[in-house]
Amino acid sequence: MSTETSQRGVVGRLRASPFLSQLLSNRLAVVGLTIILGMLAVAIYARVTLDPGALASSRLGTEIPDRAPPGWTGPAAFDQHLFGTDSAARDIYKRCLYGAWLALQYGTITVGISTVAGVGLGIIAAYYGDVTDNVVMRTMDVLLAFPPLLLALALVAIFPRELGLWRAVAALTLVYTPRFARVVRGAALKVLEDEYVDATIALGAADPRVLARHVLPNTLAPITVQSTLNFGLAIIDLAALSFLGFGATAGTPSWGLMLSRGVENGLLTGRWWLSFFPGLFLAITVLGFNLLGDGMRDALDPRMREAID
Amino acid sequence: MASKRFVAKRLLLLVPVLFGVASVVFAILHLAPGDPARVIAGQRASAEQLQQVRRELGLNRPLWIQYLSFLVDAAQFEFGQSYSISRGAPVREVLIDRLPVTLELAIYGQLAGIFIGLPLGIISAVKQDSLTDHLTRVGALTGISVPIFWSGPLLILAFATYLDWFPTSGRIDSTLFLPNTWTLFGTELPLTGMVTVDAVLLGNWQAFTSAVHHLFLPALVIGIYSTALISRMMRSSMLEVVRQDYMRTARAKGQGAKITLMKHGFRNALIPVVTIIGIQFGTLLGGAVLTETVFGINGMGLTIVTAIGALDYPVVQGTVLTFALLFTLVNLFVDITYGYLDPRIQQ
Repeated sequence: MSTETSQRGVVGRLRASPFLSQLLSNRLAVVGLTIILGMLAVAIYARVTLDPGALASSRLGTEIPDRAPPGWTGPAAFDQHLFGTDSAARDIYKRCLYGAWLALQYGTITVGISTVAGVGLGIIAAYYGDVTDNVVMRTMDVLLAFPPLLLALALVAIFPRELGLWRAVAALTLVYTPRFARVVRGAALKVLEDEYVDATIALGAADPRVLARHVLPNTLAPITVQSTLNFGLAIIDLAALSFLGFGATAGTPSWGLMLSRGVENGLLTGRWWLSFFPGLFLAITVLGFNLLGDGMRDALDPRMREAID
Repeated sequence: MASKRFVAKRLLLLVPVLFGVASVVFAILHLAPGDPARVIAGQRASAEQLQQVRRELGLNRPLWIQYLSFLVDAAQFEFGQSYSISRGAPVREVLIDRLPVTLELAIYGQLAGIFIGLPLGIISAVKQDSLTDHLTRVGALTGISVPIFWSGPLLILAFATYLDWFPTSGRIDSTLFLPNTWTLFGTELPLTGMVTVDAVLLGNWQAFTSAVHHLFLPALVIGIYSTALISRMMRSSMLEVVRQDYMRTARAKGQGAKITLMKHGFRNALIPVVTIIGIQFGTLLGGAVLTETVFGINGMGLTIVTAIGALDYPVVQGTVLTFALLFTLVNLFVDITYGYLDPRIQQ
């Protein structure tokens, strides 16, 4: 019976509850959601219509000029190279669109794996307590003692260069997992204090059942907020690693790598379009996740709800 | 002031964390696929030469002995010699040379954040839902969403390449030369390595202006991020505090609104913000790495990026450990400040 109640509670909370209406009444959160959905549409469009191999290969030696400014800035025809071309005469507009696919794809994988790992570790630490808790959380503390980007830089050194963006994904997963573990452990400890959990255990429920049916659903809210806010961060950090040369392999249309080429080839010569457009896509996407994450946090905070009601 | 016991306890807690940090760094670089002996001896080295190099580096010893000797060395801040990027130079010297560069950048960026971000956050909270508040909030959210490796290049393009107001890279005009020491009352003392400070110590105003001129854009890039972050935190913390009972009590006993706000509100609202400033210092250091890369400033950040690319493991170990130590110490300082702001914490 207790399972039934808690399930209904969770589903109910996610569905009609103040949360969604609260979130949707927050104008900035809606803007964020719109940006993310728009970027997702761009990503899917790019994935379906563009060929990554063609985007990566150099166009030098063809009739297409390299480092050509955006079509609309000069006498050239409007529809030619909306964002200009890069140092290998590739079309920056198409590469930016495909970059959305890469950012969202690898961002989702990074946040997904760290969420799952962090949730697992956090719940286990909270539930078993004692030595388990200590071992898990002290390890997390050590990982949290590094400045995030620097731990990621040290970690990418472990993985072979050929892995490309996967190398950055692996490193960042290890950087983010402790944050999720910490948040989840805190939330799980609170749930474990509730009497119904004791009741379930007294009724003879096995550990996995208690964890999966009672503890996990009740930690979903903080996890969701943490994931959303972390999503923006993951997209920036993935791009940062590519920018520094430890992510996407040469030619890949990733925003970070495009920015790095833009700094190399465009800063002193004033070829602004090489860095402007990829950075714009990156910043807008991250802004979308931050707006949504902020709105979710406010909507979940009961004090904020009181203030508005 | 924070009690001595409190500070001592915090210091003791550092030991296991730093031990863990050193172990992680050791593990990471022993898992790395590259062969250090190959890096030093070169691609064409014979098997015997490689063996020779391994013996010299102590890489032929059992792993646990290597681990222990690494811990002992790390405790003394001794990381051996650079393999490739400053070949043969002791890593400690490389660090002493580069650390002040990064610190200077991070400190100016953080100060800008504190001096602009705190007042912005307070104004935003006091005038909640006003136009100023909305602008500050949207501005702050944009500030934390814009990556440093985009704002940096854009600022360079606008203010260095097109307008030519600032230099595009470096720390000081290449025609200027600063000595290694300065004299105070006839004693020769070492300089700090931070050009703006050194120029003042030497009384060299030309060098000072040039240093500020060079530092302005990179510090601005970090400052924008840190301002955005701090104003956000200050706003929400201040909003929390103004709802507290003691604020109403203070007003009820006839205290003016401004005094209540500054005396009771500000100090209490500062507590969570101080913690956040500490935690975010790690992100700021990451930002310094990116900024140094964009602006070609030869600090710790550019050093670690080059060292990882060149498989220069001792330099990577030294830089990563220094960064972690710095981050940990800042958080220790924050903890102590926290204890000072809220004496209940010390119990």
